[in-house]
Amino acid sequence: MDLENQKRVKEFAEKFGPENVVVVLGAGEGEAAGLAAETVTAGDPTFAGPLAGVSLGLKVYHICEPELKVEIDEAVYDEQISMMEMVLDVDDIVNEMTAIREQYTKY
Amino acid sequence: MSGNAVVKGASYVLVHAPDFVINYGTTQTVERIVNPDSDYLKALNSSIRSYEQVLAYPPNQVYLGNLTPKDLEDFEFPWYDKQVADAKRFGKFGELMPEDEFIALMQICDAFDLVVLEENFVAKTKEKLTKHPLITESMLSKLKDGQSLEAIKEYISEYNAEPLYFEREIVGYVKRAHEIDVNLSAEVLLENLAYKASGVLALLHLINNSGIDREAVDYVIDCSEEACGDMNQRGGGNFAKAQAEMVGLINATGSDTRSFCAGPAHAIIEASALVKSGTFDNVVVFAGGAVAKLGMNGKDHVKKNIPILEDVMGGFAVLISKNDGVNPEINLDIVGRHTIGTGSSPQAVISSLVTDPLDRAGLRITDIDKFAAEMQNPDITKPAGAGDVPEANYKMIAALGVKRGELERADILNFVKNHGMKGWAPTQGHIPSGVPYLGFAREEILEGRIKKAMIIGKGSLFLGRMTNLFDGVSFVLQENSKEAQTEDLKVSVKEVIEPLIGIVAEDSELGKDNVLEAISLAENKGYRAILIEGEEAHKKMDEMLRRKEIDAAVTMNYSFPIGVSTVGRVITPGRGREMFIATTTGTSATDRAEAMVKNAIYGIIAAKASGVKEPTIGIANIDGARQAEKALRELQQKGYDIKFAESARKDGGVVMRGNDLLAGTADVMVMDSLTGNLMIKLFSAFTTGGSYESVGYGYGPGIGEGYDKIVLIVSRASGAPVIAGAIEYATQLVKNNCLKLAADEFAKANRSGLKQILDGLKERKTAATEEEVKPPAKEIVTVEIPGIEIMDIEDAAKTLWAEGIYAETGMGCTGPVVLVSEANEAKAIEILTKAGYIN
Repeated sequence: MDLENQKRVKEFAEKFGPENVVVVLGAGEGEAAGLAAETVTAGDPTFAGPLAGVSLGLKVYHICEPELKVEIDEAVYDEQISMMEMVLDVDDIVNEMTAIREQYTKY
Repeated sequence: MSGNAVVKGASYVLVHAPDFVINYGTTQTVERIVNPDSDYLKALNSSIRSYEQVLAYPPNQVYLGNLTPKDLEDFEFPWYDKQVADAKRFGKFGELMPEDEFIALMQICDAFDLVVLEENFVAKTKEKLTKHPLITESMLSKLKDGQSLEAIKEYISEYNAEPLYFEREIVGYVKRAHEIDVNLSAEVLLENLAYKASGVLALLHLINNSGIDREAVDYVIDCSEEACGDMNQRGGGNFAKAQAEMVGLINATGSDTRSFCAGPAHAIIEASALVKSGTFDNVVVFAGGAVAKLGMNGKDHVKKNIPILEDVMGGFAVLISKNDGVNPEINLDIVGRHTIGTGSSPQAVISSLVTDPLDRAGLRITDIDKFAAEMQNPDITKPAGAGDVPEANYKMIAALGVKRGELERADILNFVKNHGMKGWAPTQGHIPSGVPYLGFAREEILEGRIKKAMIIGKGSLFLGRMTNLFDGVSFVLQENSKEAQTEDLKVSVKEVIEPLIGIVAEDSELGKDNVLEAISLAENKGYRAILIEGEEAHKKMDEMLRRKEIDAAVTMNYSFPIGVSTVGRVITPGRGREMFIATTTGTSATDRAEAMVKNAIYGIIAAKASGVKEPTIGIANIDGARQAEKALRELQQKGYDIKFAESARKDGGVVMRGNDLLAGTADVMVMDSLTGNLMIKLFSAFTTGGSYESVGYGYGPGIGEGYDKIVLIVSRASGAPVIAGAIEYATQLVKNNCLKLAADEFAKANRSGLKQILDGLKERKTAATEEEVKPPAKEIVTVEIPGIEIMDIEDAAKTLWAEGIYAETGMGCTGPVVLVSEANEAKAIEILTKAGYIN
């Protein structure tokens, strides 16, 4: 996750309280989604950004995960996401995300 | 719709740059600041590939054109441990340049003495570059003698210069150009000079591949992501011109187009529009490579025990030209664009770039044989977590097709395979963005293997922190419709437009009605002429000739330069034959024999341009005839084709008597222009008693080596039939491309030693009298001083030169003139009067 985004996530968590923040990811594949999820939960695994050593334990979902999909207006989802849903390996993403959440999410 | 621009050629180059990776790639420079002792930096050296490894790397061989994108499918993924067996430095598109030669090329491209190199390095590298097929002698001459390593190291530490490395050793440096301005810091200049040099390399290969004449390029567009300028104009730009200058595109201007990675696609659309609109005929779109992006994903590569694969700078150049009826067209009716209102979801982006333009053209996704979006090499991006970029794009296009009902969901992978390609381009931002396929696409379309390819450029504008907008444009390259050609053909079949002849006849002694009568006589025969009137009609006429509003002009007087004289055309009374009188006005040379030799050639040109295929030459029996004959025979012997006529008199010979003139024994009768002037007046007016010239074609066109206008002379006493004749004569000269014919004829004569033969004639006379007088500095001369004897005209000008007055010679309305500036008029007249040239 780039350094600027790490900084913004950290600031939001401080401002609104970590329990009130949900991070939504749009990564193109499982590994990248997992890394980003790890960053906002356990901390930056590359130890390069503001979240290095900072375990926020935030709730984090990929936009294609079923938990999030039900929250979104169907027409909007069809217009904005459905094409990518077809392209992405959603199962792989769900597996990666679930594993990270089970391990690190505190809320 | 026709007239689309075509892709006439393309080049793709790579530069092996391992020392730039280590020292100047931003991933490495940032790491050195943030984490100077990191394991990554320690592992860097051992993760660098050699030139041979980089050369044999399959994606690189595709980039150079030694393999095709399809060949890449035969290599099992990943590719970094695979090698192409017979890898070559040069491919049909370009080359992989070694780092040392590239550093030398940077110095060649340096216009401000910013690059200093070590002496031994220069010596070795110069030798290598000498063998480079495209680096010219004049480029090599820009390599400077090197300095000692000691001096180099001292300068670097004292003045914050950026060292240049080869094989990890210092071999030179780049200076800063300003002490405070970061835009001119040594680091920025190093990046910019490396960028410039790689772009220059791409241009050199494009010129070579496309065979375009360097002088024919009208416009160049640089489309990279680099910036040049100083602190007051950070993005001042025009990398384009800076690079085009290096390869001698002297007739081109240019500019830079920017849109992150989408830059090249934007630039090609702009270039195509410039060509299609007729603004320019040949536009080059090109870019060099980015130093900063070298080793960008190096950390991920090293972590996964993969060598650093981002170790080459890329470059490309594409020639966009007027439709030639052969090369693939850029169809500007199918242009996709991501607009400000489009939105940034992938779905919105792909729709705007792919399906919207296809919908507008009534096409389906599957009508496009190949798509080329971002052709990044997945070997580089996959280990870095960015996935297979081209594949992701193809899947998105296919998914959109499924949503639109043009594809079955199960066909997605087939679509990717059939309409997509494996990526082979280095991750240099603008370099992989659609354009790497243009070279292959052009070939595949020319070979009939595909019909349509869509090139898509996308850019991430948020990186500049000015907007969160995304960007992208796309265009379609397709088989040549050949419509442009047939349309041109239609025009030429339907209406053959006669050349337009302008007439200036202010001085006619016979009045305006006589001229109007002439025009209507000519029009009755199908010719076209217009009367140019008013003050400064001659100036207007010159302007119209220059702007090609008229194709030739007929006038009653004109200042031809010395060296140009007119070839008249008459109808001889004896047999009613046409004969050319070479020459009738103007001065071919101040020496009579020399002038007659030239006049013979002028006569041949005029006759041939009037449709006489093999004109015969006769020399009028006047003073100088024998010398002229001798010289012309020598010219003939040395290979210039002259057909000599035989006198009709019993004793024959090429020298013509008065009887031959009346009989028209020769097609071209050669004489000096004063005699010729007498003759043409006689031939034109012998039936009318002299005041009205009633027969023939007038005094003819001014001809001389390098003279580039068709201006014909008639006289103030020329009657309507003669002026009409002159219009006919002019029309024939235009139609038979007289100027080109003249250039060819002079070239032939010069190859046969014309200059030496003429010099031989001159020496005879002037060896003793000529004193070398150098002309003073050239200035604009507008004042004519008339009244000087033709034979003295050159000496008169030299007399003025000797007094420090710049003067030129020419033919004025009333005869020879010396031309000087307004400021010098009075003094020049005084000098010439004193010297006896004028009264």
